[in-house]
Amino acid sequence: MADVNETINGLLGELRRGTIVMGVLSQLSEPQYGYSLVPVLEEKGMAVDPGTLYPLLRRLEKQELLESRWDTNEARPRKYYLLSPFGREVYSGLCMEWRKLVASMEGIIGENKGGEPDGSN
Amino acid sequence: MEVIERYVYAVTQRLPEQQRTEIKRELHGLIEDMLEERTQGGKASQADAESVLLELGDPNALAAKYRGYDRYLIGPLMFEPYLTTLKIVLISIAIALTGLLAIDAIANPAEIVEQFTEYVVTLIAAFAQGFGWVTIVFAFIDYRMQKETAGSGKSKPWKPSDLPQIPDAQARIKMSDPISGLIFTVLFTVLCLYAIDLLGVWRITDGERKVIPFLNADVFRHYFPIVWVLAALGLLKECVRIIVRRRTGSMLALHVAISVASAVLVCVALADPAIWNPDFIGQLEAAGLLQAGGEGYDTVVSIWTGVTDWLVLLIGLFTLIDVITETYKWYKVKTAA
Repeated sequence: MADVNETINGLLGELRRGTIVMGVLSQLSEPQYGYSLVPVLEEKGMAVDPGTLYPLLRRLEKQELLESRWDTNEARPRKYYLLSPFGREVYSGLCMEWRKLVASMEGIIGENKGGEPDGSN
Repeated sequence: MEVIERYVYAVTQRLPEQQRTEIKRELHGLIEDMLEERTQGGKASQADAESVLLELGDPNALAAKYRGYDRYLIGPLMFEPYLTTLKIVLISIAIALTGLLAIDAIANPAEIVEQFTEYVVTLIAAFAQGFGWVTIVFAFIDYRMQKETAGSGKSKPWKPSDLPQIPDAQARIKMSDPISGLIFTVLFTVLCLYAIDLLGVWRITDGERKVIPFLNADVFRHYFPIVWVLAALGLLKECVRIIVRRRTGSMLALHVAISVASAVLVCVALADPAIWNPDFIGQLEAAGLLQAGGEGYDTVVSIWTGVTDWLVLLIGLFTLIDVITETYKWYKVKTAA
């Protein structure tokens, strides 16, 4: 038998992966550079490792959800990312979909506690 | 710190050229930020650097995340037919060359050692060629299919009517079809490249083999590029047949295009009069097989002088029959569906 915790962790990882995009988009109404996002997200309970975050930021920029510019004024040149108008629209649309998803999941989990099949109680 | 440079290099080396500079800059910034956080502004040690890199993880994995897609020459979808084709081609090469060795050994048993050495050398070279060509053809097909799926993914959505028919016995291309095609292609290529002088009139006198070749091997050598093109075309056709395994309109179009192109190429080579053995009749006479003024002399000479026309006609006819048969088989499938 597979370990319960291990299986849960594996499945949870899959569930989390999609939420990271929303987490990142949510924080970028103000320009941020990659590493400054890590503690912000962590504080809100979303642990994301930089090895995932950096490629993700580039991908979102390529999809035109984010805009970027290099800031070379500081001691260390950093690439700042900011939601594009398109990204803003996508993000608010995503949030609506997310609420619907949560509501329907609540409905599904709520009526079927503990994984018992329907109508068994 | 050197280890950081090495890490950044390991990641960016695996990325497309035009992204390297920026990602390098970004990674350096990130690593410095991470180091600073660890040391709280103090001096970073080698151990700090290593622990940061460990947190970032395997550079291969990081590069893969940056790329966002996997790269390969022959993808998992194509790998099975690739292996099948490779096996058939290599086995055919081995059989063809071993056959040639046997012919040589029977004719001149005294030279078996040299013959065997040459056999091994040729075998290795031919295996490398076969391996290379099959891989190139499959890489090409794979590349085209990847581009096609990338293109169709956006432009036209998939519809249930796109689903291919479940091929019935008629529509399915029997595996023996492309296999025999591959074996023929390999045998043809090996014969042209290594043993064109065996093609001729054979005489065994006193246990010694003499061949009066039809073709002039020195001139024929200049036509090796055509042989290669023919081999590549044949290989491409059979590979596609092994992958698709179904009679379809585009399959038929490919078949017809390659058949016609091959026939034209062969005819181009045959149309060069210099390709034929210029002294064929003389050698026949010298061997005592033919006597000037004797019975059938005129017939042989007239056939020999008209050989190009006859062969071109014959090849044209065979190509026509092949095209008609394939079209008919496809038509039957199409009307049955």
